[in-house]
Parts: sequence; C-alpha cells; structure tokens
Amino acid sequence: MKLAEKLWKALDERYDLAPLLAFAKEKAVPRHRHDWMYYFGGLTLFFFMIQVATGILLLLYYRPTAEAAFESVQFIMTRVPFGWLIRSIHSWSANLMIASAFVHMFTVYFAGAYVKPRELTWWTGAALLLLALGFGFSGYLLPWNELAFFATRVGTDMVSKVPLIGHWLLRVLRGGEDVTGATLTRFFGIHVAVLPMISTFLILLHLAFIQRQGMHEPEGEAKLPPRPFFPNFVLREFMVWLVGLAALAALAAFFPWELGTKADPFAPAPAGIKPEWYFLFMFETLKLLPAEVLGIEGEILGLAAFTVGGLFWFLAPLWDRKRARGEKNPFALIVGWGVVLYIASFTALSYLGVFK
Amino acid sequence: MKALVVLGVTLAASSGVAAPPSRVLGIPGKPASDQCTACHQALDEPRLQKPAVLATDDIHYRQGITCAGCHGGDPQAEDPEAAMDPKKGFMGKIPPQKVPEVCGSCHSDASFMLRYAPNIPTDQLAQYRTSKHGLALAKGDTKVATCASCHGAHGVLPASDARSPVYASRIVETCGRCHGDPSLMKPYGISGKEIEDYKQSVHYQALVVKNDLSAPTCNDCHGSHGATPPGISSVSNVCGTCHLTQREAFDSSPHKDAFAAMEQPACEACHSNHKILPPKDEWIGVGEGQVCGTCHSSGDRGAEAAQAIFASLNGTVQRLAAARERVERAERRGMLMDEALVKLEEAHQSLVLARNEVHTVDPQRVAAKTSEAGGAVAKAEKDAEAAEAELRFRHNGFKVSLLVILLTVVALGAKIREIERRS
Repeated sequence: MKLAEKLWKALDERYDLAPLLAFAKEKAVPRHRHDWMYYFGGLTLFFFMIQVATGILLLLYYRPTAEAAFESVQFIMTRVPFGWLIRSIHSWSANLMIASAFVHMFTVYFAGAYVKPRELTWWTGAALLLLALGFGFSGYLLPWNELAFFATRVGTDMVSKVPLIGHWLLRVLRGGEDVTGATLTRFFGIHVAVLPMISTFLILLHLAFIQRQGMHEPEGEAKLPPRPFFPNFVLREFMVWLVGLAALAALAAFFPWELGTKADPFAPAPAGIKPEWYFLFMFETLKLLPAEVLGIEGEILGLAAFTVGGLFWFLAPLWDRKRARGEKNPFALIVGWGVVLYIASFTALSYLGVFK
Repeated sequence: MKALVVLGVTLAASSGVAAPPSRVLGIPGKPASDQCTACHQALDEPRLQKPAVLATDDIHYRQGITCAGCHGGDPQAEDPEAAMDPKKGFMGKIPPQKVPEVCGSCHSDASFMLRYAPNIPTDQLAQYRTSKHGLALAKGDTKVATCASCHGAHGVLPASDARSPVYASRIVETCGRCHGDPSLMKPYGISGKEIEDYKQSVHYQALVVKNDLSAPTCNDCHGSHGATPPGISSVSNVCGTCHLTQREAFDSSPHKDAFAAMEQPACEACHSNHKILPPKDEWIGVGEGQVCGTCHSSGDRGAEAAQAIFASLNGTVQRLAAARERVERAERRGMLMDEALVKLEEAHQSLVLARNEVHTVDPQRVAAKTSEAGGAVAKAEKDAEAAEAELRFRHNGFKVSLLVILLTVVALGAKIREIERRS
C-alpha cells in the first residue's frame, strides 16, 4: 500500500495527475431506460482489440503470396500450438465486430444521437463502419481458398462499373486484370497496414469527440441520476465484454472456421458463390435487378442507388433538422426502420435460399 | 519399272487376289480423286450414291486409294462403260467369300503396307483363316463375319478413331450385332447371351462406362482377326495376360493341377467368363452362393481354408472401415490427418495384395498380408486417438474457460450491485 502511494506521489509530482483523477471521479454516464445501447460502441472496440491482438499473432506465420498463403494458414491451423484457436477467434471476432458495429449504428440512429453537435462523431463512426467492411473484404481473400478467390473476383468486378474510371480502379484494386498473387499482396498490405492505421486514428478521434461532448441523451426519456463512469460504467462495460468473449469462445470452439480448398484460378467458379453475410443484402439486390433498366445497365443503377442511399444515410445530421431542434421526426424513423427491414429481410431470405 | 514393282507385289502377296495396280493408287497421304465418286455422288439411287458419299471419309480414299483399288475398273474414265469395264478388272459388288482376299491383297503385303502404315500388322488374313469365321467361310457359310462386317465396307475408319465400329469401346456393340441375337447364333451352338452377360461385367464397366480403354472387350480375349473361343486350358493364360499376379498366385496353388486334371477352366470356374462381376470377399466359402462350395463341402480341408481366408479378410475390412471413419471424422473436425490417411492407404494396398493371395488358397499367405494391413491400420488408429484426445482437450478447455468467464461475469455483477448500493 505504501509503495503504491509512493509511486502515485512520484508520478503526480512529475505529471500533475491529480486533476485527471478528479476528472475520472467526476465523469458520469446518463442513465435511462435505453442506456443499454451505450455498451455497443465499447463492445465493437473490444472486438477490434481482439482483432489487433490475434492479427499480430497470425502475422507471425502468415505468408502473403499465392503460392504460400493457403499452406501457411493450413500450417497455422494444424501445426502451430493454439493456431487453430487464434485463427478461429480472428475470423469469428471479425464477424461479431461488424455485427456489433451495425447494432451500435442503428441504436445511435434511432436515438437521434447524430444531430448537432455530434455530426462529426456520426461521420467518423460511419467511416469506421466502412473501414470495418473493408477489413472484412480484404481479409476474406487472405487464406487464398476457392470461395475467397471467386468471391473477391465477383466483388472487385463491381468496381469496374464505376463510370469513366471503373476499369482503372479495377486494375488498381486487383494489381492487374484479374485476381492474382498481386491482388493478394495488395489486399494483405491494405488489411494489415493501411486500414489499421486509418482505423486507429479515427477511433481515437471518435472517442475524443465522445469524451469532449459526453454521451447523448435521447429526448423524452425519464432521467435518472447519472451513473459514475468509474467504476460503475467501466465494470458494466467490462461485463459486456466478457459476455462477448464467452460468445466468441463458444463460436470458435464449436464452429471452427473452415479452411476450404486452395484457390485454383483455372478452375470453374463453384456454384453458389456468396459474399460474407454483411454484403449479402447488396449482393442479392444487384442479382435481382434486371439486366437493363431504361437503357442503363441494372448493376450500374443498383450501385448508384446504394451510393446515393449510403450518402443520404451518412448525411442524416444535415437533413434531420427537426431532431436537432428537439422535435420528433417520423420521416427519420420511417427511413431507419425501412433500412433495418430491408437489410434484415434480404439477409435472412438469402440464407433461406429464396434467391436462386 | 512400275509394272515390275506391281508384279513383285502381286507375287509377294499371299492371297489369291493381286494388290491393285498403281494406276488406281494416288500419292500416300493425299486424298484420292476419281470419276467413280464424282458420278456416284450425283446418282439418285441411295444404294449407289451412299458408298460414294461415305468414301470421302474412308481411310483408304484419304490415302489416295480410289474405289477401283477394291472394285477394279478405270477410276479416271468418264464414260461409265469404260470405267466399269470387266476387261479392266471391274468386279462390281464384292461377294462375301471374296472380301477377305480383296482386303488381304494389300493388308497381307508387308512391303505394300509399308508405304502407308509401317507399324500395321500384316497377318490379319492369315489369322482370319484360322478363326471360326474364316473356317466357316471356307466351308461356304457366307453368313459369318468378314472384314467388312466389322470394319464397314465404305467409310472405313482406323480402329483408333472413336467413330469406328472397331474402336475399343464400340467393339461389344459391333460383335453384338450378330452375337447378341440368340436366333442367329442358335445354329452355331452359341447361346447369344454373351453380350448381355459381358455388359454386366467389371470389364464393360471400366471400358464403356468409365471409358478406360485399357479394359478388355471381346477381341482382347478371343482375338481380333483370329477370333475363336480360348480352349479350356488356355483360359487362365488369357486372363493372366493382364492379371499377372493373380495368375502367378494361382499357378503356385494346389488348384492348378487339380483343375487341369478335371479339365476345368481355371479363372472361369469362380469368376465366370463373360459376366465377370466385381469379386466379393463373401464369395469365399462353401455356403449358398459361395464359389468354393462348387467343389468343396463343409468339413473338408478346402472349406476350412476358405473359412480361415474369409475370416482374415473380413476382419481387416471391418477394422479398416472403422479406422477410416474415425480418421475422416477427426479430419472434418479440423485435425491434420495426413499421416493417418497415408497409413489407411497403405492398409488398403495390403488388403488388395491379401485378396490377390486368395488365389494361392493358402490361409497363411493371406494372413501375412492382412497382418501387414492390420499394422498400418493400428498406426492410423493411434493417430485418430491422438486427434480425438486433442479435440476433447479443446472442448474441455473451452468449457473451463467459459466457466471462468461466466463466474467472472457473476462476480462482477455482484460487485457492481454492491458498489451501486453503497452509493
């Protein structure tokens, strides 16, 4: 006890930490009927940290070339002690992170937390979700198995639909005309260097905004005395993380992520190629569109609609003036439930095999 | 000079019919051009038009040999009278009994054939004369097969061409045109069921269904041009040309002399001749539907040996299947089972060798191979056991960690409640 006190004194003397401690003691989180939603941002962060930790461990053995990638993942899963666990956790945690990020986004949307003054928090959050999807897309190819290879071929092909620069973009993304070892190396670089760097920066910014402005309190909620951040909220958040960890452990142990068969660029594409679940609603929509609508290629129209829709969602803080004034906005609610219903139903129907 | 060559060729030919004169032959490798096809293709009567249409795809025609090469006459004459002038050797339709001689006039002539296909055998006619077909034809039976019956008359294709009726996988249908017709075969004392039987055999499965051209069809056992049933004593020789190890095993067995003494065909006694079904271990024994029971009966030495052989094969099969199931289950659950799979393959190989040893009818020789298989299976089982232990460890580890996590959650919950009550 004495030693700890001595250490605190020495540090406080040098860095003037007492105000920080006072701030931490003062910091509180609003309490209301829906305050459970505050935990999902933290849960997403928790899964992100697991991704960083397990990703670094996988890096020790992974080799990003078309010749060695599949074998190195196979080696990790079969020969490296606990390699199977690390890889399985990395794959499952990626999915849970994206699921948790989606829940976080929708709770923020329905609570109307994106309005002034929190526009930048909403925008950095939206950018982080896009980055998470980028992580998923780039990471999916890395084991270089058949499914990943063909899904990436289909996925990157979408880029070529962009007017004027589409083909150029495709070449930049693939590192050539087709998905090859060059694509793998490129995706690897993006997955382990570019995306983590930008994400870390944006996460810090996102957290700094929240720290500066405090949690948003939804309108019309009966207010309770706020909950101290430390230790009450921190411990509760930690409990949520533990539940997340338990779910992750169960998934990783009982449904080990499969390796599949090595990609063969000359083999015909296997039947029923599907992207990861979080891209399914877009994938199925694009497939449903007719080849041509009013003289424009259906896929181009679909991608344009997704871009416009995404932009509209992104710009919610700008068009939703009512909620900024503290009024109800039924239009925003209708948009929100429409998006939830659309994504949920298309994803579910895709899994049920309705789209053939 | 050319005339001298033709004369020499004619003398060299063993058949009674001379090889065609050079005026009816073109340049080898260059398709023929003659008046016969030009006029006949323009005819309305199908009987006369069809041969000319078929001829352009014919191997002989493509090698520069005109219609006159077989039919005689003058291939370049525009006037039908002159073209089909008997004085110019025109024969018209070749009667069946003359067909082998006409074909043989070139095909039995090694120096003539050298110009077209240096590796082609030239003993077809000689073989044909020894065949059941040839012998019957010599006696004046014109219903039997001649060259054209199998190869076709016009539009003859090389046997390596998949469209040819004598292409390996089509031979059974070609032979079956006559041999699959019991009424046609009755006068010759042949049942006419052979084709139907063959179609149920492993050989037909391999050749026609799986398109494995190394599998035997009719001519591989009976001969092509010298087609004849193999004699009782030569059946094992015929089978043994492909099934070498089985033959060696059989030759070293007491069955070899016993079968010879009884004047019984060897392989055929258990495997049948045309309807050669995939062999099963269950055939071994003296019970109903088991092959040893044909000669042996319960209690004799043969029955005892059969019982011992079956027991050792069946035990290995059961154990191998169980081990494979375990190994594959572990593999499906994400374990690396490469070495175990290699061991299972080794065991399977030993089992194949053990089944080969069945032909020695020596239980000890069979057991020697099945114990080799057993050794390999044991190694695979050990690997499967280790993999199962690892999987159990993983699941138990998960259960323990889940318990720790949940206990922490509960403890944390209690702590939070306590803190919140205090404040």
